[in-house]
Amino acid sequence: MKSIIALEDVSKRFGPFTALESISLDVAEGEFVSIVGTSGCGKSTLLRLVAGLMPTSGGSIRIADREVTGPTDDVGIAFQTPVLLPWRNVRQNIELPLEVRKLDVGRHQAELTRMIDLVGLRGFEDRHPYQLSGGMQQRVALCRALIHDPSLVLMDEPFGALDAMTREQMNLEIQRIWMETKKTIVLITHSIIEAVFLADRIVVMQSRPGRIASVIDVKLPRPRSFTDIATPEFQDACNQVRLLMNATGFTE
Amino acid sequence: MKSAYYPLGTFVVFVLGWYAISILFEVPAYLLPRPEAVIERLGQDFGYLMRHAWVTTYETLGGFLLSVLIGVPLAFIIVSSSIVEKAIMPWLVLSQTFPKVALAPLIVVWFGLGIVPKILVTFLVAFFPVVISTVVGLRSMENEMLELARSMKASRFQIFWRFRLPLALPSLFSGLKVSVAFSVVGAVIAEWVGATEGLGYLLLTANANLDTALLFAVLAILTVLGIVLYYAVEMFEQRLIPWHASVRLKEVPAL
Ligand SMILES: Nc1ncnc2c1ncn2[C@@H]1O[C@H](COP(=O)(O)OP(=O)(O)OP(=O)(O)O)[C@@H](O)[C@H]1O
Ligand SMILES: [Mg+2]
Repeated sequence: MKSIIALEDVSKRFGPFTALESISLDVAEGEFVSIVGTSGCGKSTLLRLVAGLMPTSGGSIRIADREVTGPTDDVGIAFQTPVLLPWRNVRQNIELPLEVRKLDVGRHQAELTRMIDLVGLRGFEDRHPYQLSGGMQQRVALCRALIHDPSLVLMDEPFGALDAMTREQMNLEIQRIWMETKKTIVLITHSIIEAVFLADRIVVMQSRPGRIASVIDVKLPRPRSFTDIATPEFQDACNQVRLLMNATGFTE
Repeated sequence: MKSAYYPLGTFVVFVLGWYAISILFEVPAYLLPRPEAVIERLGQDFGYLMRHAWVTTYETLGGFLLSVLIGVPLAFIIVSSSIVEKAIMPWLVLSQTFPKVALAPLIVVWFGLGIVPKILVTFLVAFFPVVISTVVGLRSMENEMLELARSMKASRFQIFWRFRLPLALPSLFSGLKVSVAFSVVGAVIAEWVGATEGLGYLLLTANANLDTALLFAVLAILTVLGIVLYYAVEMFEQRLIPWHASVRLKEVPAL
C-alpha cells in the first residue's frame, strides 16, 4: 500500500539533549498506528515533527510524498492538552479551524452538530471552556481536530482525562470514524488496551535516546468490540506489547 | 450588592475615627475640619467645585486616552520588533524612575498654559502601565496555543488578531486600571504648574489660604472621580472579557 507518512532516519536534538534518534517508520494510507512508550521518550516530539511544528535535526519526513517543512493542509491534530480558546464557546472553538483556514463555516454546520452529538456534548454548545470538565475539553479538542475532515489525524493522548466508560465509547467512535472515512490515524496513548483495541500496528518506543524499540502488527478482526478483550488473541497482543515495554525498562 | 456593605462599613469606621480624633484631641479646624464642615462646604460651593472638577476630569480622560492611543500601539511595535524593543525599552524603564513632576514646568514653557501641557503631563504619568501590561499580555501566549495556531496554518495576521490580542486583554485591562488611577494623579500634578482652574489648582489655593475644609472637599471629589473612572474601566472589562478568571472569579475565598 501507498505510504502517507515516511520517516527516514529522523533525529531531534534539543541543544545537547538527544530526544529522538534514527526513527524510521512508514505509515500506509488508511492505516491506524498507535505509539506507546514511557513518559518522556519523545512521543509528542515525534508527533510535532510529523506535524511540521518543529524542524528535525536530521533525516527526512515526507507526507504524501512531499517533504515536511511546515504544517500540512490535510492534517488534523489533537494535542496532549486541549488548548481551547477561553473566549470562545464549544461550538466556536470547534469552528476555529474552519475560520482560520477560510473554509465555509455554514456548510459544516450539519457535520458540527453531528460531531457534538457523537462525543456527547449536546446541550453544552454554548458553554465556555472554564465551564467544562477536563474530559469534555479533550472531546472538544478532538472535534476541532476532525472538523475540516483531514485525511491524516494525529492524536496525542486525546483520552487521558476520560473515565473508563467514556474512554471506551470514544474508542468505539474513533474506530467507527476510521472505518467509515478511511482516514490515516496516528494515536499516542499510555493505555496498552487502547493501543491494541484501535491499532493495525503498534509502535513501541524506548527512551534515552528516544527510538523505536519495535513495531507490532495487531491482526485482530474488525470491527473490534470491548467484549473481545477477554479473548486469548487480544490478551496475547496486550502481553506482547507489555513484554516489549518491560524489556525497554518500563512497567505500567 | 451585598459586597458594597464592606467598603461602606470601612467608610463609616473611617468617618467615626475622624470625628473621634477631632473631638478627643481638640484639633483646630484649620488643621483638621470636622466631617460636617467638609460636607457643608461641598454643598455650599457645589457649582464652583463641579466646574473645577470638570476641568480635571477632561484632563484626566484626555491624558488617559492619549496613554491608550499611544501606549497600546507602542506595545504592538515593541512586541513585533526586537530591534525596537532593545532600542527603546531600557529608556522607557529609565523614564519611570524620572520624576515627571519635574518636567511639568518645562512642558509649560514649551506648550503654554492651556489644556495641552496638562494632558501631556497626565499622559507621561499614566502611559507606562499601559505599555508594560500590553507587552506582557501580548507575550502571554503559551507555546501550545502557538502550535495550535500554526497547525491550522494561521497567518501572522490571524495569529495576532485571533489569538494574541484576545489573550492580551486581561493583562491590558489590569494596566488600564492602574493607568486610569495614575491619570487622576497626573492631572492634579499638572495643575500645580501654571494652571488657573481644576482641582489641583484648588488644592494649591486652599492650601495657601489654610482653607482645610475646601482642601478636604477637593480630596473627596478626587476620590470619587478616581473611583468612578476605575469602575468605568472595570465595567468595560467585564463586557469585553467575561471569560477571564479575574472577572468570573470575583467571589473567590481569600488566600
Ligand atoms: N522544546 C523542548 N526543549 C527541550 N527539551 C524538550 C522540548 N520538548 C521536549 N523535550 C524533551 O524531549 C523529551 C521527550 O519529550 P516528549 O514531550 O516528546 O515526551 P513524551 O514521550 O510525549 O512524554 P509524555 O508521555 O510524558 O507526554 C523529554 O525528555 C523532554 O524533556
Ligand atoms: Mg507527550
